[in-house]
Amino acid sequence: MSVDVSSRRRKAAGQGKAAHVFLLPWLLGLVFITALPLVASLYLSFTNYNLMSEPMFIGWDNFIRMVGDPRFMSAVAVTLRYVLISVPLQLAFALLLAVILDRGLRGLSFYRGAFYLPSLLGASVAVAIVWKEVFGHDGFVNQLLGLFGVEAVSWLQDPSRALSTLIVLNVWTFGSPMIIFLAGLRQVPEELYEAAKVDGAGQVRRFWNITLPMITPIVFFNLVLQTIGSFQSFTQAHVISGGSGGPLDSTLFYTLYLYQQGFVGYKMGYASALAWVLLIFIGIVTAIHFLLAKYWVFYGDEN
Amino acid sequence: MRKHDSLRAGRRPGVRVGSIVKHVLLAGFLLLMLYPLIWMVVSSFKPGDTVLTDTSLIPSQVTFENYTSGWNALNEPFTLFFFNSLVVSIGSIVGNLVSCTLAAFALARLNFRGKRLYFAITLVSVMLPLHVLVVPQYIFFSSLGMVNTFFPLLLPKFLATDAFFVFLMVQFIRTIPRELDQAAWIDGAGPFRTFWSIILPLMTPALVTTTIFTFIWTWNDFFVPLIYLTSPKVYTLPVALSTLVDSETLDGIGTLFAMSVLSLVPVVLFFAFAQKHLVRGIATTGLK
Amino acid sequence: MNIDRRTFLAVSGLAGLGLGLAACGVKQPSSGGSNDVSLRYGWWGNTIRQRTYETAFETFTTDHPHVTVQPEFAEYAAFQERMTTQIAGRTAPDLFWIASAQVLSYYKAGIYHDDLDKIETLDLSNFTPEQLESFKIDGKLNTVPLAVTAPVVRFNETFLDEAGATLPDEASTGWSWDGLAEFLIDYTKDAPEGRVGIAHNAQQDLTFESWLRQHGQQLWNEEGTVGFDADGLGGWLEWWEKLRKAGATLSLSEQEGPGMDWALAGDKTLMTFGNANHIADHAKMFPDYTFQLRGMPVLPDAAAGYTFGFMNRLTIYSGIDPDLLADAGRFLSFNLNHEAMLTPTLSLGAPVSGKQLEAAFDVASADEQKMLRIVQHNNAQESKPRYEAPAGTGTWRDIMTRTIEEIVLGGMGVKEASQKMIEGIQDEIAQVS
Repeated sequence: MSVDVSSRRRKAAGQGKAAHVFLLPWLLGLVFITALPLVASLYLSFTNYNLMSEPMFIGWDNFIRMVGDPRFMSAVAVTLRYVLISVPLQLAFALLLAVILDRGLRGLSFYRGAFYLPSLLGASVAVAIVWKEVFGHDGFVNQLLGLFGVEAVSWLQDPSRALSTLIVLNVWTFGSPMIIFLAGLRQVPEELYEAAKVDGAGQVRRFWNITLPMITPIVFFNLVLQTIGSFQSFTQAHVISGGSGGPLDSTLFYTLYLYQQGFVGYKMGYASALAWVLLIFIGIVTAIHFLLAKYWVFYGDEN
Repeated sequence: MRKHDSLRAGRRPGVRVGSIVKHVLLAGFLLLMLYPLIWMVVSSFKPGDTVLTDTSLIPSQVTFENYTSGWNALNEPFTLFFFNSLVVSIGSIVGNLVSCTLAAFALARLNFRGKRLYFAITLVSVMLPLHVLVVPQYIFFSSLGMVNTFFPLLLPKFLATDAFFVFLMVQFIRTIPRELDQAAWIDGAGPFRTFWSIILPLMTPALVTTTIFTFIWTWNDFFVPLIYLTSPKVYTLPVALSTLVDSETLDGIGTLFAMSVLSLVPVVLFFAFAQKHLVRGIATTGLK
Repeated sequence: MNIDRRTFLAVSGLAGLGLGLAACGVKQPSSGGSNDVSLRYGWWGNTIRQRTYETAFETFTTDHPHVTVQPEFAEYAAFQERMTTQIAGRTAPDLFWIASAQVLSYYKAGIYHDDLDKIETLDLSNFTPEQLESFKIDGKLNTVPLAVTAPVVRFNETFLDEAGATLPDEASTGWSWDGLAEFLIDYTKDAPEGRVGIAHNAQQDLTFESWLRQHGQQLWNEEGTVGFDADGLGGWLEWWEKLRKAGATLSLSEQEGPGMDWALAGDKTLMTFGNANHIADHAKMFPDYTFQLRGMPVLPDAAAGYTFGFMNRLTIYSGIDPDLLADAGRFLSFNLNHEAMLTPTLSLGAPVSGKQLEAAFDVASADEQKMLRIVQHNNAQESKPRYEAPAGTGTWRDIMTRTIEEIVLGGMGVKEASQKMIEGIQDEIAQVS
């Protein structure tokens, strides 16, 4: 479609104004709800702030302290491990189930709802107690292992295993990315599949050559947001470890450490510094995601 | 080869066995997945003090006492908390649908200076942990005298601060071919008409997804309602539920399970209802 | 730019509706006459406690109809989280309970109403002058205790009878730390499968404090730093290690962590250390057993004045509207002196004033009376002063939990772990000063 230069410029100028009307609520939100607190927290990261008196400026001290803080290092290690293992695992499950459920399966609605149920519970207060029962000393998992003659194992109190229970919990709640994958699969035009069937392509080939490329924007979305979300994972570790990040800091997620410093230790300045380090790190990871996206994400709106 | 034949020919014994196997495997996996939930539901019918000590799936005693004692637990009937949660959730859905679609359309379709920057800032706002933003936000809202109301919970939704949905919608819009927009533009439609008549209808899966997730996340949101809502009369469900169990005595777990089961019911129903609307690609009809 | 007017209005209408919904939930109390007053009261616990308190408050509002008490109640951890933001935003309730780890931090932040004794409507006559002195922080009466509790040994009498055993006589030297350890190890040897002498409870802070005080040390000192050294702490941890290695304690896995889960430990242990006020709730979880309370084991040459009481304090917010002060004083008085408050207070501990303590026996359950007797006994002893946790020590219990994990799960030596814990706490204190 060719449009002449001047009308394109007119269009761009008109679109600029329109864009700002569309974006007005978002801009207001950005300034008052997001940006101001963002800037405030940046300032706080250079201060000593115990929430009760005025913040005291201390320069780079918080960041210097981070470098020598062994618990900070633990938190980083734990969080990295968690993200690197649970995100791909969870997304793989989500995609697998979505693909299976997307083919006119009888009882599709039922299965879709049923597989989503764990995600509903996953963020609730009751989940910790339930999970403790599942992985507890006399819990479901140990009983199951007992059926196979394997001796009961300490899951939640063993520093080398406690994190795995949280990884399993994250994978267990694959419902959200699964729903998004399902929505994305729905948007793949039927004609493409039919054309391929006529050409004799089998199920797997159709998946690789049609489905996967067409849903790459959705895969990308899920990948980026699940990664960001996992870096910020808090509730589950907090509730299941009783707020301690134990045993021996093996479930000390980064945001849990941040929370301990800010809300329990009343060191909001240090907590803010931790938050900004996390933000920068996530930013870098996300930027890498976006850079690499060029090589594998296919958008329908590109000419 | 046989697989292709059976696909083209349709029903054949091979297919039926295959589909039975599939169902069995799926059902088995489902049972495994749902065990914790099943356990919770079953436990809610066990007498309160045996909930943790009796780990079997078949209760030795069945009782409704957890439900009856939990209903009036906080000196208010639990319907009050349901209502509060409903107000917050539905309000959030409306807010997100209105503000995020507008913002996403602008970011995905309109060309203007600073587009990339705005998009980047949106993403950045997702990356900062909640606990650090909460204190400045709280100070902001409390200085406006909005504590103990739903305002701090709902206002951000109307200002598209849920960048997750903005990004989701941007990604969905980008799968819609630009030819449709340009066809509309040729016909003389401005940005708003394009948005309203062309893009919005094609975004139904994204809208449904947004609705579902907003509902579920706000329904389960604990920390933000906790700090803004101080009077139990305006508590939402998660805050009310948290008071059922005292971390010291661990008393009341049966009640917690019972009321948690009850508070899951609306979400499950909502989801069951809403997911039917994740309909097959309307995008295809647009190409004709 | 063509925006269809109708659709734009429709969209704005929706947005307006939403914001209208937002205004819902504004439950400001309706003040009828100009005399009507509303007091915000913040406290924590579980639903049972909430109900007993609110029932008691009705007595107050019947006597003072112009006052409405607005409850701001939440579970303990949730309450602290909310309190944190409320302090930052200067929106704390008019009266509120104080978490023990924050008593001095809050004082430093200036959120207590100093000179509660100057409030005319607050009746403090039930307290002795010595008691009032002991409440003071920095010479000012700015908090008052609602209840007092003490560390106790809680043992399962049913199990004891089953084994045909008796505890060493309390008055004898057999009721010492070493004596108790021997007893527990012996008991476990002959106990039925799965049952041990004691839950692993090294992080029971009040018991730990008792140990320290008996050894001539303290938890916190007057200067606002750690009041114990590596020997004091190390001795305590060693005592536990001896028991654990002899198999007399539950494994951390069996009790789900150093912070013992009573639901799991209750029917596997003969005894546990705990707070005196927990017996009522904990005993209910195992109705088939009878539990009894005892005071701490006593070191043969225990330092004088080692007994102590742990106070649950509450205060009036320094930022309270001055017009509310008189009624806040009345309400505080009610909390401390009125007989309707006896039942709610018992969930926290024993009333502090002698008169209330006596009266409490009439309304207390059998288990609660056991608690009252222990507190009465403690009250009769001479006690050295006790200092609250200094600012910055909010996480000290977590540090202790980690220390225990490092010893039990990580194999660290007791001496090294003790040193590390003390340094950790001192670091925390240093960071806020």
